[in-house]
Amino acid sequence: MRADADMPPDVLCDGLAKTFDGGVEAVRPLSVRFEGGHTTAVVGPSGCGKSTLLRLIAGLERPSAGRVEIGGLPPAETQRRGELAVAFQDPSLLPWRSVRGNIELALHLARRPVAAAHVEHLVRLVGLEGFADTRPAELSGGMRQRAAIARALVTEPELLLLDEPFAAVDELTRQQLAQDLPRIWEARGTTTILVTHSVNEAVMLSDRVIVLSPRPATVVADMAIDLPRPREPEMSRWPEFMASVDAVFAALSASMARNSLAIAAQ
Amino acid sequence: MDRTGLSRRMVLGMGAAGFVTALPIFSIRSAWAQSQVALQLSWLHSVQFAGSYIALDRGFWSEAGLDVSLLPGGPNAPVEPPVVSGSALVGISAADYTAAAVEQGARFKILAVAMQKNPFVIASLPGNPVNVPGDLEGKRIGMALANTPVLQALSTLNDVDFDAIEIVPTQYSAQPLLSGEVDCLLCWETDLPVAMAIQGVDSVTMLMADHGYALHSQTYIATEESIANRRAELVALLRGEAQGWEAYREDTKAAAALTLEMYPDAGLDLRTQELQAERQVPLMFSELTDANGFGWWTDETVAANIETLALLGRTVTPDLWDRSILEEVHAG
Amino acid sequence: MTVATLAFIDKRSLRPGRGSALLGAVLLVLGWEVLARMLADAFVLAAPSEVLTAIVENRTLLMRALAVTLANGAAGFALGNLAAIALAGIALAFPRSQSIITGLALTVFCLPLVATGPILRVLFGPGPWPQIVLAALAVYYTTLVLLLVGLRATPSSWIDLMRSYGRGSFSTLVHVRAMASLPYLFAGLQIAAPAAFLGAMVGEFTGAERGMGVLTIRAMRDLDVDMTWALATVATAVAIAAYLAIGWVARRVLVADPPVILSPPRPPGWRGGGWHAPINVAVVAVAAVIAWWAALALSGLNPFFAKGPDDVFHALFLADNAGRTRAMLASAMWETAAFLLPGYLAGLLAGAGLAIVVVLFPMLAGAAMPAAIALRSVPIVTTAPLVVLILGRGAIGTIALVALMVFFPTFVACLHGLRQAPGQVLDVMDSYAAGPFQRLLRARLPAMLPAFFAAARMAVPASVLAVTVVEWLATGNGVGSLMALSASLSDYNMLWSAVVLVAALSALGYGGVGLVEARVLRIYAPEQLA
Repeated sequence: MRADADMPPDVLCDGLAKTFDGGVEAVRPLSVRFEGGHTTAVVGPSGCGKSTLLRLIAGLERPSAGRVEIGGLPPAETQRRGELAVAFQDPSLLPWRSVRGNIELALHLARRPVAAAHVEHLVRLVGLEGFADTRPAELSGGMRQRAAIARALVTEPELLLLDEPFAAVDELTRQQLAQDLPRIWEARGTTTILVTHSVNEAVMLSDRVIVLSPRPATVVADMAIDLPRPREPEMSRWPEFMASVDAVFAALSASMARNSLAIAAQ
Repeated sequence: MDRTGLSRRMVLGMGAAGFVTALPIFSIRSAWAQSQVALQLSWLHSVQFAGSYIALDRGFWSEAGLDVSLLPGGPNAPVEPPVVSGSALVGISAADYTAAAVEQGARFKILAVAMQKNPFVIASLPGNPVNVPGDLEGKRIGMALANTPVLQALSTLNDVDFDAIEIVPTQYSAQPLLSGEVDCLLCWETDLPVAMAIQGVDSVTMLMADHGYALHSQTYIATEESIANRRAELVALLRGEAQGWEAYREDTKAAAALTLEMYPDAGLDLRTQELQAERQVPLMFSELTDANGFGWWTDETVAANIETLALLGRTVTPDLWDRSILEEVHAG
Repeated sequence: MTVATLAFIDKRSLRPGRGSALLGAVLLVLGWEVLARMLADAFVLAAPSEVLTAIVENRTLLMRALAVTLANGAAGFALGNLAAIALAGIALAFPRSQSIITGLALTVFCLPLVATGPILRVLFGPGPWPQIVLAALAVYYTTLVLLLVGLRATPSSWIDLMRSYGRGSFSTLVHVRAMASLPYLFAGLQIAAPAAFLGAMVGEFTGAERGMGVLTIRAMRDLDVDMTWALATVATAVAIAAYLAIGWVARRVLVADPPVILSPPRPPGWRGGGWHAPINVAVVAVAAVIAWWAALALSGLNPFFAKGPDDVFHALFLADNAGRTRAMLASAMWETAAFLLPGYLAGLLAGAGLAIVVVLFPMLAGAAMPAAIALRSVPIVTTAPLVVLILGRGAIGTIALVALMVFFPTFVACLHGLRQAPGQVLDVMDSYAAGPFQRLLRARLPAMLPAFFAAARMAVPASVLAVTVVEWLATGNGVGSLMALSASLSDYNMLWSAVVLVAALSALGYGGVGLVEARVLRIYAPEQLA
């Protein structure tokens, strides 16, 4: 059992690797610890295996080698307790349920009581006020993604996994969400892992950025982001912010260049 | 007993035929502690079986302690399986079908013969008639290919050149004759010619039984097991039949009316049924039945049947016929 | 009545082209009337006015018959679809069983009515059960395959969502699969409704006291042309009404429109092609023989007419007259094939062809669709004699009827497929100013192929049903007639041998089309095989 149930759990990846049935090596043995109560961003080039890493942590893929522990327990246990939530790249809303219905479904699945006011609050927070009874087909792509984020947040999970959550959201809304949403999980001390290919987003939202190499994924850089909380949009003009962004970019480019050299050498 | 009246109201009332069609049988079963028997008819309800309806209507069977259900046949309802499996005590078949079934291992006996003369006719139009078998040569005849042996037998019996007849495979309908596709039809005396007459078309019919085609039709069959074990019921059943058909003969119009009354859902036309009932009489009653009673046969008629059956490719012996039940019926 | 019916279809289901549909319907009825008056002496065609008179004059009789057949059809519809749902549930719970379940289900579905009818009558005795069971048998297969597709028609991310909350396959079934399969279920029910009515009618041929089937036989025999057409009209109207009613319910119940599916996908057993297929066929064949043997042992049917696998094997290979039995079967099958194959191919080509024409000239759609929906709902037992009356008993009549049975589902499926061409692909074509013919050839036809093949597969059992029914009820040729004749002459060895042959060849034909399909789709629509 976990030592302290109220402590946000650490996520430990130990020698974690994944090779798919077809022989595609997505993640090469990788060990990393995501600290409890912190937001860690995972960045890497498209198709590098960062989504696979997230799915391994969520217990949706079985590792080929190594293990994942969430607060000392396997992912399946965290799933079972309803303490994990994923906001998928594809919003995955059930088309026959309204926005409210989709959010409430998560509470139901996690065996939590349905609190109408809480659901209402989240709907407002993600900017879907007035659309609670609308079905997904009538929403724009960005609105659907926001509904999916609300669904992930509603169960107040201890571990929140976000896979490109703002990909389809327009720039202005994205800034707004990037400012509002972290407050929710920061306030609760939720362990958050964010997968993104936007370096700015990674730096703005997280306490730490892990840079992955092109596939198969390995950690090429791991840097702390020392910006005060709560984050504000104007921080993006701060030198510290720009320095961090530059550092991440440099790590990314170096890994990609190494990779293309390796390809050229073959 | 107004079985159909009950079911009609129920159908209209609740539209639940699933229960409704089962109901009449139910109500009969619970009515009396009578012995249950089923008679499997060879076709849909019509005046063809009106003797049985009269027996049911006038209580000839219930007086004898028999509770009879009449099971209708149809185009996909062979008579032999229910009789073999015991869901019907008696079935209405014909000598050729029974002979075929016995060849396949069924233990059937013919107990009585309703149609003394086979109802097969060659029907033609007056402008181009077939009056005797010889007229068939050079004609196009519409019939089911399956009946080819029947036509062959008729040709052999009458020295007709079978190869000179052109067989046109048709469905069982008078339409090909009327549209001039064929010159004549192989059909029953009691159906297609009647249909034509009702449509105002005169036709000429040549009864094959008048030209040597001796084959008992509408025969009552039962298994040897039933004859051994359920004798009393068989006798009561056939006695009711005999009484019913005698009553039928006295007033065929009333028999047709009763048929329509009992089976209003069969889609029957009164005039058609009256005409059919009338035409059926000479096939069912003869000097032989006048002398000995309904359903009778003799060694001579059996011998003639065996001869015709041989032409149809069926080898049978006289013990296919068992007259003991009928003798009890007419003795009592 | 006919005009009103067609107008109703137009209003409810076909928003565009209302005017042309109405015009098409009116022209159809007028042409019918004129033709009937010209053929008045031939006793083949009744004019709409005469049909209407016959319906009005016999309205109480028709109402009673309709109530009975409709009730039996509804009971069979419910039973057959429940069975399909149960089977789909088993297949979902035990995925390994799926190819056996679908294979056996297909084999049973291919059993010819001529043979199953009398056995059901003996099993159930008098009453409505043979009608109900035949109706159920007529519907369960299409619903089953559609349901299996529907239960799998879920994006994997929905399943991931369930799993991320630690929920297993049961929750997934309740929250995701059941709901996602609803449109497919409704599409299945829509196809099932006319089929159930047909099954109930054919069931009445096994010895029923009342119903539409009983009246149909009577009217044919009595040369009552008006009544025959009146019955066909009423049966058609009812079948269309049932089809539309289910569509209406579906639109009320479902969030999204039900997919237009006229023909389900291949059973998964065929998917792989290669060495999988023969093994699956062998497994299903063994399972079928075991099921057959077990059914006989459990039902206690009399061996005089209930023949087992050993009897059939004996009759075909060991008996003294085995050679003659085989020769008779072969010649009957050959005769049937001569009607079946041209009709099947003609129906497929005509269906796909008309769909292409309609896509090139969209204004024709309004007139063609109501006719397609109407004619695919007509019970074949009423059309078979009529088509033969009109086209004659020669090969043309039978081939035309088989083609008709194949034509309409193919047409509607292909039309749907043609319209599914991805918008972006069409936009790319437009940007190169490609003409309608280019668009058809390069974008629409490849998009049509999956629907075409699905229709071609489902058309195999349908065309076998059509050809055997025509042979049995109308022309007296081929294996349909051989089966009826064997039953009347108590030659049950021959009957069962024919049944085995027909069912096996239909099932293999279905699978064979599936194999061709897999090859073609691998090139044109690989996503369908994933």
